[in-house]
Amino acid sequence: MVINPRTEFLLKISMVWRGIFSLLTFGVVIALWSGILTSELALWLKILLTVILITASIFSAIGAGQIYRREHSGRMISLVIDYLAFVACSIIALNTGEVFIGIDALGETFASGLPYLGIVAMGYFLGVIDEYYTQKKQLWGESSLKVVSRWVMLGGFVLFIFQVGAIDGILYFLNKLTQPLGILSVAGIALFGFFMWAIGRSESAVAMHSKTNHEQILSGWLFLSPNLLGFLIFFAGPLVLSLYFSFTDSDAFSTPNWVGFANYAKILNIQLVSLAYPEQLAKEVVNISVYDEVGRFTFGNSGILFAAADKYFWIALRNTLSFVFLAVPLSVFPALVLSNILNSKLPGMKFYRALYFMPSIAAIVGISLVWQWLYNATIGYINYFITLGIEFWNNLFNLAIIDPKIQWVSDEKTALLAVVLIAAWQTMGFNTVLFLAGLQNIPGELYEAATVDGAGNWDKFWNITLPMLAPTTFFVVSTTTIQAMQVFEQVFILMNPPEGPNNSTITLVLYLYRNGFQNFKQGYASAIAWVLFIVIFGLTLVQFQQQRKSSIYES
Amino acid sequence: MKIKSYRFQQFFSKFSVYFILTFFALVMIFPFLYMVATSLKIPSDTFRYPPRMLPQDPASITMTGYEKPLPLYFVEINGQKEKYALAKSNIKIGTFAPPNDVTKTIDRFIDEVSPTGGADQKTVSINGKEEKLFDVIVDGQTVSMIQISQTTVGEFIDPQDPSKKVYQNVRLSDPVESVNAHAENYTKVLELNNMGRALTNTTLVTIFVVLGQLITSVIGGYAFARLKFPGRDTLFVFYLGTIMIPFVMLIVPLYQLMVLIGWTDRLAALIIPWIFTAYGTFLMRQHFITFPKEIEEAALIDGASRLQILTKILIPASVPALATQSTFTFLYAWNSFFWPLVIINVGNEKNHVLTLALNVLRGRASDTPNLILAGAAIAVIPPLVVFILGQRFFVESVASSGVKG
Repeated sequence: MVINPRTEFLLKISMVWRGIFSLLTFGVVIALWSGILTSELALWLKILLTVILITASIFSAIGAGQIYRREHSGRMISLVIDYLAFVACSIIALNTGEVFIGIDALGETFASGLPYLGIVAMGYFLGVIDEYYTQKKQLWGESSLKVVSRWVMLGGFVLFIFQVGAIDGILYFLNKLTQPLGILSVAGIALFGFFMWAIGRSESAVAMHSKTNHEQILSGWLFLSPNLLGFLIFFAGPLVLSLYFSFTDSDAFSTPNWVGFANYAKILNIQLVSLAYPEQLAKEVVNISVYDEVGRFTFGNSGILFAAADKYFWIALRNTLSFVFLAVPLSVFPALVLSNILNSKLPGMKFYRALYFMPSIAAIVGISLVWQWLYNATIGYINYFITLGIEFWNNLFNLAIIDPKIQWVSDEKTALLAVVLIAAWQTMGFNTVLFLAGLQNIPGELYEAATVDGAGNWDKFWNITLPMLAPTTFFVVSTTTIQAMQVFEQVFILMNPPEGPNNSTITLVLYLYRNGFQNFKQGYASAIAWVLFIVIFGLTLVQFQQQRKSSIYES
Repeated sequence: MKIKSYRFQQFFSKFSVYFILTFFALVMIFPFLYMVATSLKIPSDTFRYPPRMLPQDPASITMTGYEKPLPLYFVEINGQKEKYALAKSNIKIGTFAPPNDVTKTIDRFIDEVSPTGGADQKTVSINGKEEKLFDVIVDGQTVSMIQISQTTVGEFIDPQDPSKKVYQNVRLSDPVESVNAHAENYTKVLELNNMGRALTNTTLVTIFVVLGQLITSVIGGYAFARLKFPGRDTLFVFYLGTIMIPFVMLIVPLYQLMVLIGWTDRLAALIIPWIFTAYGTFLMRQHFITFPKEIEEAALIDGASRLQILTKILIPASVPALATQSTFTFLYAWNSFFWPLVIINVGNEKNHVLTLALNVLRGRASDTPNLILAGAAIAVIPPLVVFILGQRFFVESVASSGVKG
């Protein structure tokens, strides 16, 4: 095979570059640990950087050898390393130029640019009109309107860019880039970019014995890379970090200290002691410098006292579980009934379906504010409807039911119920749509056969619909449960303070928020998060077992 | 006879179906109606009991001789209700009666009577109780009477003929009211509390997140669906597994990450971490995998690049899927509250998004529910509009996700 000298030269410098890069990264690792480069770095960050750099160094060295041997893997390694470094440099450049934090400045000018976006929209509509007319009849020759539309859109967009201060922004960006780090990152972009081009060229590919599936592998990873990098940085990485933090006393700002299982031990430190008599004081049976009373169960002349080192966690767990066991049935059973009704072929069902769906798309914050006023004990509609209802029954049957005048959010007995009702109201429609889809997947022949066998509607529901719907039911119940376990926003907005009267609405996520972001005990908050996750996982697992047991009819 | 009863049964079952459906529809829709109605009211109207839906204003009339417009009330004259203006309120009227016959009562303005005997008021004993005596003028004659009771009334005058006066209790009179929507509540709330800026920020964040998610999930989904590379399927299973992981698991480490790169208090923290989504990638992959492979292969043979195939063939053919995905992301970005609450400082109002601004407004405007609910409506209505526009795609897609799950 003839390789032209230019390609030969590019491959040669690529190989040299791989070697230099390998040494360079290794040098940075040494600098990192000897303390020359930066003094204050969190341990986890230092370790992470070291792992990344060492990996890069090793692979770069291997890459150099493979390019020398004209093995295609050398080209792949080269491309991957240079691409990652290129992305890293671009991000550093953008960050140094304050592009990311510059979005804030856009918030100031964006509104003034909106009219120009209106021009863009106008241009777009011109294009739509043009398309409509060319479909109808060839009226204006070769769609001159389309050209006009394009120009209007372009002009509007340029004006918009100008109006929101993009020129100033770019100048500011360039100015910021003249800092050492900025210059370094721009140099990096140029360098890595050049070598990506050098070895990515199709001539180089041929020289390196590339096959079609190699190209597919490269474009596959390339296409996935933005998503995968973001996923690693903002999801998988933090997940691992969360586990690490849960074993530390991290406070978000200073270096965290490893504390082992101390956080978990504190959460799970509980005592169950039997009481000599139901009213016995907690301090007589447990060490109250460590334990607080969470609750007591009494039967007859004795009782059991439940005490915990972190009383609020257990109250929060109790509240969260009560919330789940109330809100899930309340949002699932009506949904099941409604979906069966909506599944009838009567007119108007799509309209009702859309109406039921509305609550689930509205902002929880806004909705909770609305309900806050509906729940108002003196002027709220809910108590008004209750009063009207009681008056109606009293008049109808000559009764004397007393209006309870429920205090809703300010009474510890009803506060959690108030939150439950909002949550049920909000998720019911969503669940209805899910059930409806499940119902529409049940083959009609089953019902026909049952009708022939003389089964009634109730039999059909019980013996066909429910078993066939089991997978959907599992999905609905488990997603609703997972959502409900994380209840936070409704409580935070509806209750003032969010803990509710006598801690009656403190939930696990609220407690996590209090610990992590108000007291900045972030290590402890991470431990709470993992306990929450385990509880959620356990509940889902139980539901999954139930579903497997009950879905004997499936397939 | 049998057919008839069958028909009746049919009618009855249909009726009960629509009855139940409508009942639930009302339950679902009522808070929204309440929100919009209340957001158009004046504050005093929101605190009224019994509550009512339509925003109404007390009517008033400008009359010569009075500085302020006078509120109008219904007054009953000869069994007919007429609109009279309240000219004077807090007029005290006493009911007086002679000590020897307390049933013969007479009403007089308090300032028209004077204590019998001046400062050293005389009293009379009735049934063992000492009662004060007042001089009341009856038919031009002064009579000593005792006071039975006292009420406060208002002076109502006929707007056409100010000499026609009626006295009656103001609180028990029905004010004349007219339905009047105060749309200016919305402009008021936008000016108050930086809500305008918050609306801009939310819009900005939502646009960036929707666009960013579309780009990453379309190309990522395409890679998962169509490009064969080692590790793809393992990675996909890994992606799927993470969908179930609750967000609160990430909130602490993400916060520290933001602290590390200096994005706390910045809008970037609300945008950049959220443009990479496993769920969106999953949805797009599921969509692309249904697309016929032959078209793509033909294009490849013609020398098109992967990117060209994606932008020229797949994306134009995937508008419904993209619309669904955008609607999902829009709702998520627009409604999010927990993360902004954590990452944006309460004091840094210029970077607040709508949900945060609402949280502040709730405490600040607790005496004006109309403004709070106007703010809530600003946050709630745009998603509803997007939902109505994308309803067809959206609801179907939710349904299908459930079936597959």
